[in-house]
Amino acid sequence: MFLITCPYCGTRDQSEFSNAGEAHVARPEKPEDLSDEEWADFVFLRNNPKGLFAERWIHTAGCRRFFNMLRNTATDEILAVYKVGETPPRVSTAEPATPSGEAPIGSGNDAVKVERPEGGE
Amino acid sequence: MSEIRRRTPLHTRKPLEAPGGAARIAELPFLGKLVLRVDPQAGSKAVEAATGVPLPAEACTATGDADTAILWIGPDEFWVITPRDGETAAAAALEQGLAGLHHQVADIGSYYTAIEIAGPRAREMLMKLTMLDVDARAFSAGQVAGSIFAAAQAYLWQVTGDDQPGGPAFRLFVRRSMADYMWCLLAEAGFEWGMPRQTPVGGETWRLER
Ligand SMILES: [Zn+2]
Repeated sequence: MFLITCPYCGTRDQSEFSNAGEAHVARPEKPEDLSDEEWADFVFLRNNPKGLFAERWIHTAGCRRFFNMLRNTATDEILAVYKVGETPPRVSTAEPATPSGEAPIGSGNDAVKVERPEGGE
Repeated sequence: MSEIRRRTPLHTRKPLEAPGGAARIAELPFLGKLVLRVDPQAGSKAVEAATGVPLPAEACTATGDADTAILWIGPDEFWVITPRDGETAAAAALEQGLAGLHHQVADIGSYYTAIEIAGPRAREMLMKLTMLDVDARAFSAGQVAGSIFAAAQAYLWQVTGDDQPGGPAFRLFVRRSMADYMWCLLAEAGFEWGMPRQTPVGGETWRLER
C-alpha cells in the first residue's frame, strides 16, 4: 500500500489515483510538418527508465485533477509532486548500480527481491 | 397513460437502524445537486450572491448548512446542494449571476443519490468500506472527500459534528447505478451493531463479518 500526496487534496491512498504515463511530453506545434516516424515517436514512444522518472498522475476518485510526480521506478520512492505547468523540483535519489541491478534501498518489486544474510554470499 | 412518478434509485429501501441508536442509514431523496465549474477567484462573489453561500476557500471542505451547501470537489469544481426541487431555481440564479464569466452549471440530481449515515458508529461503518482516513482527527464536520467506498467511487461529506446528540451525520453521494450496492454494503457494515442485512437486487452475497 502506498500513500500519494495530491497537490490539491493532500495525502490519500494509492487506490484513489491512476497513472497517466510520462510527463512533459509536449504535443508538436505543427503535426502536419512531422514525418511518420516523428509522429509515431510522439504518439507511441515513451521513456521507461529504471530510476528517476517524471510521470503524470490523476486523482481519479478525488478531485480528478492531473498532476506530475517524480518517482524512482526502481524503488517506488515518491520524491516530489507538483502541479501541471510547474517546473519539476530538483531532487536526488538512489539510482540502480547496474543496468540490471536493484537500487541500494529496497526494491518496490518484492517478487524479484533477493535478500542475502549479512556478510554471507 | 400511466401516472408519471419520480423514483429515487433506492425507492425500494426503507431507512435502517441499529438497536440503541448506534447507527442509521437512510436515502435522502431528490436533493438538488449541481456541478459548478468556475474559477473561484473570479466567481466567488457572484456565486455567493446567487446562492447565499460562499464558495469554500479551502480544499476538501463545505460551506453552508445541511439544506443549502457548496462542496469543494476540485480546484475549479464545486457541488451546489439544494433542498428538494430547489435545483432549478439555484441553477437559474447561478447562470444569471455568472453570465459573462467562463463557467458551467450542470444538474446532476438524478445521476447521484445521497445516503445519510449517522450515529456514534457511523464512522466505524465507513472505515470498513474505505481506505480514506475517516478517523475523527482526520475527518470532521464540514469536510468533503472523494474516495473509493467498497468498489465504488463516491463523495463523502460530514454534515454534523461528533458532539451532536445522536452522533455525527455523514452524506455519501453515490452514482445511481451503484446506489443499491452501496446501500447493502453499508447495512452489512452496520451488521456488527445489529443493523439488518440487506439482499442486493441482483441477489449477490457478501460478508464483511463472519
Ligand atoms: Zn486531489
